[in-house]
Amino acid sequence: MITLRMEFQKIRRKKIALTMCALICVQFAWLLWSGSHPDESGRLQGWIEMLHSLPLVSVIMMPTIMSVLASRLADVEHKGNTYKLLNTLRRPGELYHAKVICGLCFILAISAAQFIFVIVLGYARDYAGHPEWNYYAKAFVLNLACCLSLYLLQLLLSMLFFNQMIPLVVGIGGSMLGLILMYIKMYSFLPWGGFLSSAQVRMDWNPETRVIHFYYREYSTLELCAVFMIFVWIVVFYTVGRILFKRKEV
Amino acid sequence: MHTSYIRAVKAESLKLKRSPVWLAFYALPVISAFFGTMNYKLNIEVLQSEWYSLWSQHTLFLCYLFMPALIGTYCSYLWRLEHTRHNWNSFLTAPLPLSSLYLGKLTQAVRVSVLGNLWIFALFFICGTLTGIQSPFPREALEWFLCGTLGAVAVCCVQLFFSLVIRSFSIPIGIALAGGIFGLYMTNHDYGMDYPYSIYCLGMRANNPNMEISISTLVVNSIGYMIVFATLSIFYLRRHEIAAN
Repeated sequence: MITLRMEFQKIRRKKIALTMCALICVQFAWLLWSGSHPDESGRLQGWIEMLHSLPLVSVIMMPTIMSVLASRLADVEHKGNTYKLLNTLRRPGELYHAKVICGLCFILAISAAQFIFVIVLGYARDYAGHPEWNYYAKAFVLNLACCLSLYLLQLLLSMLFFNQMIPLVVGIGGSMLGLILMYIKMYSFLPWGGFLSSAQVRMDWNPETRVIHFYYREYSTLELCAVFMIFVWIVVFYTVGRILFKRKEV
Repeated sequence: MHTSYIRAVKAESLKLKRSPVWLAFYALPVISAFFGTMNYKLNIEVLQSEWYSLWSQHTLFLCYLFMPALIGTYCSYLWRLEHTRHNWNSFLTAPLPLSSLYLGKLTQAVRVSVLGNLWIFALFFICGTLTGIQSPFPREALEWFLCGTLGAVAVCCVQLFFSLVIRSFSIPIGIALAGGIFGLYMTNHDYGMDYPYSIYCLGMRANNPNMEISISTLVVNSIGYMIVFATLSIFYLRRHEIAAN
């Protein structure tokens, strides 16, 4: 608990929350812009469309946002050269835990803000009916899990490398890979494709009538495995990160 | 000025020696080219403009979203060398004019961006040849390259300024990503030429290779952004008290 409190003290005045807010606001602006004037059909399918748009926006932005967050939290130690000092006071595992929990707090806040925004936007646009809460709850949990898996990967890299360019480039490359994978298939076993696997809504576009129809996806066994893979990545990155951090030469 | 500029460039090259930061500029376009070519081959019935179709498949996402972030990463790295430890002390007391020191950094950023752009075009040519496109390589490609490079230099100036003012390594990269995304909006609303992150994409004709753009506006706006942000950066270096960490 003391280590966690210390973690929050270290990032005081670092404006990490402000940075995250600014980046999430770009996502909000994108969502606002993407369906700014819904017609009657848009209003009828509004809630389900939101569940389609959100993972697609996340797959592009979240890998980079998570790399920024992890880099900000890890860079405090690199710049201050504090690993040696901290490890004499606390066990290295505790410091790693504190970083993970600190990041998780930010991720929780980001995910909550995303869903609150989507719901408020839906009501403001006068979408028909109400959101289907069970799908929204599932989307929230899966979104959180995807962000956490990416954060753990980025934290691992940011802690290991003094040169923060390496984790940041991995984040940008991950965003790009996720975006490209979206055009190939709607699931992926890669950590950056988790948002695609977790998208519960699919789109059917008729080129002749130009009508878009959204529907809830029925997962095949392979797609379910891809969703399960998100949680596997969390365990893998957490375990590997903890082991490597404990063994890190200070 | 000339000698001090060369000395500054040499000093920057020494600082970057054995640092594989340029690798990202070669790795990411490969991913984009690989998947772009695959998508082109899979949808060859719809994408019938040969080189032009392949070009938009290669560059659409790369230029709009990821090249600004990559340039941002490199610029952040250039200033990070000074932001860490006590390096500001030696940087600011170096027996060279501040403008030369700044131009040394800018030259490195521009060099990597130009080489990155060349690599994009090389991949485009290689992939087009391998996929068996019969028509000749488009002559306009030289214009795309020159216009794109000019836009990339403007992005370098903007990002160097942000990375100088903001001590954090990652925040300017977030700004670059957000800038690239906002560029989509600006281009869609016909303000692309007024916005630095869109100038690069418009210059490269990433969205539509057949697009007609005003070259004079692109040149004037790019040079305008370069002058404004380079002046701001040098002014910041001269006037602002930069404390060593």
